[in-house]
Amino acid sequence: MFEIGLSHYMSLSAILFVLGIFGIFLNRKNVVVILMSIELILLAVNINLVAFSAELNDLVGQVFAMFILTVAAAEAAIGLAILMAFFRNRGSIAVEDINVMKG
Amino acid sequence: MIAANLPILQVIAPLLSAPLCVLLRRPGAAWAFALAVTWASFAIALTLLSQVLESGPISYEIGGWAAPFGIEYRVDMISAFVLVIVSAIGSAIMLFARHSVASEIRRERIYLFYAMYLLCLSGLLGIAITGDTFNLFVFLEISSLSSYVLISLGQDKRALTAAFRYLVMGAIGATFYIIGVGLMYMMTGTLNIADLAVRLPAVASTTTILAALAFLTVGISLKLALFPLHAWLPGAYAYAPSMVTAFMAATATKVAVYILIRILFTIFGGVDVMAGMHVGVILTGLAVIAMFAASTTAIFQPNLKRMLAYSSVAQIGYIILGISFASETGLAGGIIHLFNHAVTKSALFMVMGCVVLRVGSVNIRAFDGLGARMPLTMAAFVIAGLSLIGIPLTVGFISKWYLILAALEKGWWPIAVVVVLSSLLAVIYVWRVVEAAYFRPAAADAPEISEAPASMLIALWLMTGASVYFGVDATRTLDVALGAAKLLLVDRI
Repeated sequence: MFEIGLSHYMSLSAILFVLGIFGIFLNRKNVVVILMSIELILLAVNINLVAFSAELNDLVGQVFAMFILTVAAAEAAIGLAILMAFFRNRGSIAVEDINVMKG
Repeated sequence: MIAANLPILQVIAPLLSAPLCVLLRRPGAAWAFALAVTWASFAIALTLLSQVLESGPISYEIGGWAAPFGIEYRVDMISAFVLVIVSAIGSAIMLFARHSVASEIRRERIYLFYAMYLLCLSGLLGIAITGDTFNLFVFLEISSLSSYVLISLGQDKRALTAAFRYLVMGAIGATFYIIGVGLMYMMTGTLNIADLAVRLPAVASTTTILAALAFLTVGISLKLALFPLHAWLPGAYAYAPSMVTAFMAATATKVAVYILIRILFTIFGGVDVMAGMHVGVILTGLAVIAMFAASTTAIFQPNLKRMLAYSSVAQIGYIILGISFASETGLAGGIIHLFNHAVTKSALFMVMGCVVLRVGSVNIRAFDGLGARMPLTMAAFVIAGLSLIGIPLTVGFISKWYLILAALEKGWWPIAVVVVLSSLLAVIYVWRVVEAAYFRPAAADAPEISEAPASMLIALWLMTGASVYFGVDATRTLDVALGAAKLLLVDRI
């Protein structure tokens, strides 16, 4: 059996990170998916920090992961609130609409 | 007792006032309370700056935990300077806010608006004062999250779109920053800025630290709207409430620039990032493109708030140009432009706020004949506009003079020519407005309007006056800027 080490955690987090970035830039249909992609990137960071903290035998990194979770929750809350207001105004949340930014 | 705890009071006062503001409910009471808090924090910032000038950097350990373990607040010359910029603009804009906010925000939301404003202010002050990279991330998020809310409160429906765009870009920026911090933590086991500066040179050549530098620089460049990453800025500034635009344009991007300076010159101070890792050349190139592309785009904008937003992108280019020289003169030019641009741009956006209040539009056509109908407001626009161009006797001239000096010092005379040429573009877009206001008659069916209310004019002329006063007598600002540049480049504290 092989040992699961730091590099495995880092690979997992790198995969999550790339998925999140692609989710933001290739997404053409749904803005909620953009918010989910942002969450995914933040989770990748969290995995990184927790893995580092286990590697360094230092709990601080895990405390920071909790902070990042809080921040991610606040970000999602504000993002969803904006989308709610947007939906009430326009009756849709399609990205094509959102890109209408004429002066 | 109080004097020793000023660094923490600077952040805690607006932070705790925000929930108190929610309890006040009545718009007038909330405004008066927020006004008192902002002026108090301005007084604290001034005291901190004078303490730093007298007796050197202040280090404050929160809860008595010693530095590398606990969170340290550290006030040196440049952070005290940024604190003064942010709190000065924040308090002047509160004077301006009363009528502007009352006309643009629904009455039952006004107290919440001021609570968000105080949160945003405390986030920005916290970034400037903290000596801990993770603490900095938390404050960065406090200020960004509250500014998304402030922008989305704009009257235009497109404000929501703009705020969402800013949220996505801002979140990516903050994430990149925290990834960079995580990688540095992996390699050094510390998050304290001063401690990082000591430990980084030993591991600087590893791929991990190179990746960290890349993530940090790109993430912060997103926040400060450096040229190719500025897509969020014009929309956000154009559709936010007028008072928010004036505040954000003068402070949010400036504080992000401060973070970049900290990263490049303090955290990576012992490593040759500017020349050895080619960060300097990349920043110079992007800054020059920003100066031209954004100024040219600004010329063709019918919406004047949008035009000034593009002009902000160009001005950020000047600041980054100064930083990219990595010489004392260049860095001092960049740092002093932080102050100069903050004063000038907030005056210009306050003019837009006055015009929105009286005329209801910031389209270039709404400005026809406005010079005779709102004489004081438009006179302020002309003076601040001259400062934006960089005419002698205004603050804009001082910063451009130092940038040109720094370019010549390095023997890069084409850059000096470029700085002058791009100022000419500013002449064109400022002139468009002057021409409309003074040389075109008002439309025949234009409604009768009066001058803006006195409180707004006082705030506007405070900023306009400052952009002339510090242009005529720049010794104080220059002393601080040169001192800060020396501290960052030579003394390395």
